Amino acid sequence: MGALTGSFPGATPTDVAAAVLSEVADRLERLAADPGASETIDLHGLPLTDAERDQLRQRLGQGEVDARLEIVGPTRITETAYAGVWWLRHADDDDRPVLEHIVVARVPALLLAHADDIADAARRLRAELDARGAPGDPA
Amino acid sequence: MELLDFARGPALAFAGAVFVFGTLWRLTAVLLLPRLRDLSPARADARAPWQSALRTVFVRMWPRKEFLPMTAFATANSYVFHLGLAILVFGLAPHILFIRGFSGLAWPSLPSNLVFAVGVVTLVSLLAALARRLTHPVLRLISHGGDYLSWLLTALPVATGLLATGHLGARYETLLAVHLLSVAAFLIWFPFGKLMHAVLFAFSRGATGIRFGHRGVSV
Amino acid sequence: MTATKLLGDLLRERGVSRRAFLKYASYVTSLMALPPSAAAAMADGLAKAHRQAVIWLSFQECTGCTESLTRSFSPTLEELIFDFISLDYHETLQAASGEAAEAARHASMRENKGKYIVVVDGSVPTADGGVYSVIAGRTNLDVLAETVADAAAVIAVGTCASFGGLPAAKPNPTGAVPVSELVRGKPLINIPGCPPMPQAMAGTIAQILAFGKLPELDALNRPRAFFGETIHDRCYRRPFYERGMFAKSFDDRGARDGWCLYELGCKGPVTYNACASLKWNGGVSFPIQSGHGCIGCSEPRFWDRGGLYRPLSAGTTDAGRVIAIAAAAGVALGAGSAALARRRSAATRALDETRTKQE
Repeated sequence: MGALTGSFPGATPTDVAAAVLSEVADRLERLAADPGASETIDLHGLPLTDAERDQLRQRLGQGEVDARLEIVGPTRITETAYAGVWWLRHADDDDRPVLEHIVVARVPALLLAHADDIADAARRLRAELDARGAPGDPA
Repeated sequence: MELLDFARGPALAFAGAVFVFGTLWRLTAVLLLPRLRDLSPARADARAPWQSALRTVFVRMWPRKEFLPMTAFATANSYVFHLGLAILVFGLAPHILFIRGFSGLAWPSLPSNLVFAVGVVTLVSLLAALARRLTHPVLRLISHGGDYLSWLLTALPVATGLLATGHLGARYETLLAVHLLSVAAFLIWFPFGKLMHAVLFAFSRGATGIRFGHRGVSV
Repeated sequence: MTATKLLGDLLRERGVSRRAFLKYASYVTSLMALPPSAAAAMADGLAKAHRQAVIWLSFQECTGCTESLTRSFSPTLEELIFDFISLDYHETLQAASGEAAEAARHASMRENKGKYIVVVDGSVPTADGGVYSVIAGRTNLDVLAETVADAAAVIAVGTCASFGGLPAAKPNPTGAVPVSELVRGKPLINIPGCPPMPQAMAGTIAQILAFGKLPELDALNRPRAFFGETIHDRCYRRPFYERGMFAKSFDDRGARDGWCLYELGCKGPVTYNACASLKWNGGVSFPIQSGHGCIGCSEPRFWDRGGLYRPLSAGTTDAGRVIAIAAAAGVALGAGSAALARRRSAATRALDETRTKQE
């Protein structure tokens, strides 16, 4: 989002990335001590070029989980090589990045099914089973 | 924003008009004053009057060696803030744009960081001059309100300019407006106090030079 | 019309889950520089809100504000705002026309009395009784007064509605005034810009809806989330400004190297807006990045500020004539006082000579 043309004369591009990594490390230590202490770092507001963001992403690496969500446009959540550190990328329908977060948590809230959605789904499934004849149900 | 519009618009225009009006008034009045004509013949080896005049203007830019110890601080410090002011006014890009705005003239600018540093040095030098004036017994005795006002209206543009460039203390549009208004105040006061020395010094030195040269005094 | 259903239930029926609310809230909180932790609260707030009735009044405007809002990028995500609100009246977007449209407006005002939000774009002419903008036979003044009477809040979008804008520029023949001068006693938000950033319009409405209160406003009633910083504060060309590397003309070497556009009239340092951080057209670019200085379009009276290309440090009045007159006056006064001095001096000399002769 927002390609920065040209480099900043005199600025050290890796300083911001280094600061982010340091923050992630702090948060991860806190999470290790208290599993409820989740935190989100919004990369949107930070002065990082696209290249620097990619570098940061590569530095954090790939973990075991790669989730694709379709919620009003695609969202990709991948666990990094560090358990508890997740990279979250929202995009619009043209797959242009709308938002990028680093989430330090047991699991990002977005992956959890919401209580209201669950309640609605429960009602729906029960109603479909009661009505019988729903496709895919055993007769 | 209204303050900035006022500062950039009517305030500067009015100040410019008063500056031109006042300076030309005083300069014309001085130059047209009745002159005491010296009817005696000039010394045999005297230079032409205009030569003596010009020489004096430049020779007096440095004190005679007899007076150097006495005037060391004033000479050194004055050079620092005069040169500093020149670099500030004529070296900073936005200032060149201001001058270009009403005259069409422009020239390459200096790096802004460098000018900022010069600004800090100039302000310190001006403060030193004030301190000198307040502590030196003779200077304190002979100084009056106009002198302090001249100092204040010279120092304010430097100080407010530093604040504006550094974006310190208030929103930028306020800082810029205050800076422009301080320049306007300087321009309005300029013709009516000792700041006029900037224009008159050449003529007073020149007049002295002509008189001295006529009598064969070395200039 | 406000549905009795809450937004969470209403949108679920359309296949928009609570997860979508969370994604949308994350997006909006990020735009408004709120902490990411606020997203959950915003998502909850939105889900528990009712569909907000909005009446959009268009006066002396160019429709740019609507264009900006409806052409905003990531359409599926941004368009959610149109699910959260019920746009009961909008002259460009509505299907109805003529009397039916006016009837819809009145119906909405009746059914949502005290709860609807009025969005206004365009300034309101007041000269000659306001005849310079008349819709359905009624002046803008009348329609505005009638519509805001039972409104919950008023949002003036665009510089025209917020500060007068282009119609109010010199000589302002129609007596155009901003909405703030005509609305009293109602919460008022200004979202200026020519046009305003779509994220500012949608994000502000979303925040009102989610949290039930107005966002933090600055002295000109602009949401601080979008108008708290100047373009200059977030401009990527700032290092060039600090070093005094300025482009001297469009497309010269400095311009092509991306140097600061101060000398070409950029008003970035005194303009409060989010263009430099959020950018336009899906974060693609913004005027300075495309090589043109900021024109200050979210500030009052930006059209009358001495010209879009005049640098901030240059004076704005053409003082040539005044200076010439001042110069002539100065010389005249100087000559006059010198003449007086000469006359006095001659008189003294004459007196001296007379006395000497007498002696």
